[in-house]
Amino acid sequence: MNGLILTCFGVVAALAADQVTLDRGQKEESRSCLPCHSLRLIHSQRLSKAAWNKELDKMTGWGTKIQDRDALLEYLLAKYGDDKPVAPLVMSGDGSAAKGK
Amino acid sequence: MRSNRRELFAALLSAAVATKLARSADDPPVTIAGKRPMILHNDRPEDLETPVRYFDSWITPIDAFFVRQHLPRPAPIDTEAYRLTVNGMVGKPLELTLADLRKLPQYTVPATIECTGNGRAFYSPKLPGIQWTRGAIGNAEWRGPRVSDVLKLAGAAGAAAYMETDGADTGLAATPDFVRSLPMSKALNPATILALSMNGQTPDIHGFPVRLIVPGWDGTSSVKWVIRISATAQPNGGFFMNPGYRYPKYALPPGSPAKPAELEVIEGMPVKSCITAPEDGTKATLGSIAIRGFAWAGEQAIERVEVSTDGGSRWRDAQLSTPKLPFAWRMFHIDWRPSDPGYYTIMSRATDTAGRVQPIVSPWNPSGYLWNAIDRVGVTMEKPA
Repeated sequence: MNGLILTCFGVVAALAADQVTLDRGQKEESRSCLPCHSLRLIHSQRLSKAAWNKELDKMTGWGTKIQDRDALLEYLLAKYGDDKPVAPLVMSGDGSAAKGK
Repeated sequence: MRSNRRELFAALLSAAVATKLARSADDPPVTIAGKRPMILHNDRPEDLETPVRYFDSWITPIDAFFVRQHLPRPAPIDTEAYRLTVNGMVGKPLELTLADLRKLPQYTVPATIECTGNGRAFYSPKLPGIQWTRGAIGNAEWRGPRVSDVLKLAGAAGAAAYMETDGADTGLAATPDFVRSLPMSKALNPATILALSMNGQTPDIHGFPVRLIVPGWDGTSSVKWVIRISATAQPNGGFFMNPGYRYPKYALPPGSPAKPAELEVIEGMPVKSCITAPEDGTKATLGSIAIRGFAWAGEQAIERVEVSTDGGSRWRDAQLSTPKLPFAWRMFHIDWRPSDPGYYTIMSRATDTAGRVQPIVSPWNPSGYLWNAIDRVGVTMEKPA
């Protein structure tokens, strides 16, 4: 019984730690990606760990300073990994009446 | 027919509701001035895809034309202060005003512009980059002076093998500048122009007051907000020429990396067709239905489009309703009246004037460029209630 409780506690702790990492990853996403582009560009992709890693290398080369890279990578893979369902298409609102710039 | 339309409308409506639900708190809804509702891949900078249902005319209206931007849009250009720098291997470097460009003979070129990565979402394994489906393409009438006339004015040297083009947009942080090179032979082609208008207008979001138009080549060649053209001996070596916008010389097994030395600059576009109606997933009441779409072939013209309604077993010629021109797409249609209810796989296959035929399989490549497989949509025909 004690073993079971301990196991349960362990699982909860592991999940909590995971969530902490994901939260850290999301924060890092806002910090290092948002200055240059919207998050849609990221959230519509479904990539493997290697491919996400390559993207982070590319963006680092293009000047972003990622501080919490491991958490960011874990977050991207957990939410936008290549095993996740394809992102639904999103439509913009109707701006046809407004004058284009 | 009426009930077909009603069904179609209901399907579109439910899709609209679904996409509304799909918006998350991270990505608040966005409206782009001057654009109808578009498939929104990115709003900063704007990357917008045309839903296929807008492709019902030979000329794509500006409010429905797709948008691809690598870098943030530059501040609107003051047309009075605008100068085009023409330099490099020229006898007489120039700073031309818009009035100077308007004084040169003006030519109208109908040309289809397609993003190099249009259709990337269809490749498997998945690839990084904007997940364009069918609509990163449009056909417009571009008008302006020939690049050859501008280069002649500056006395471009015969030894210059390339023309380099820079736009007014610049990258944030260390993002490389968007600079492209074109072999001089293509720059001097009479259809290559510095467009001063698109369908008679000058939309900033499409690169005006001056946009290079390179008919038949991938969209990335047609640089927006042009502020400099230079005659050069060598092509530009920046990111957007290498490794960007290159295609493997030898076909690769899907999912495998390319050898950098075996990547080549993309030039003319392949032959391609796209079904714009009915849309994939449509449910309609059994009756007659119009199958419509467009086809284009880069520097070639479209000779023929065939349509199959049985998954590619039997094909018949579609009617082509617009002129056979290089650079510009042709619209096709066929009236179809299936006799039985059920699910149908509709396909389209284009052939161009050079004899190129759309393949069944579009070759996978590490950047997801040049998708041109035979197009395919599924529709369900239901018995009348």
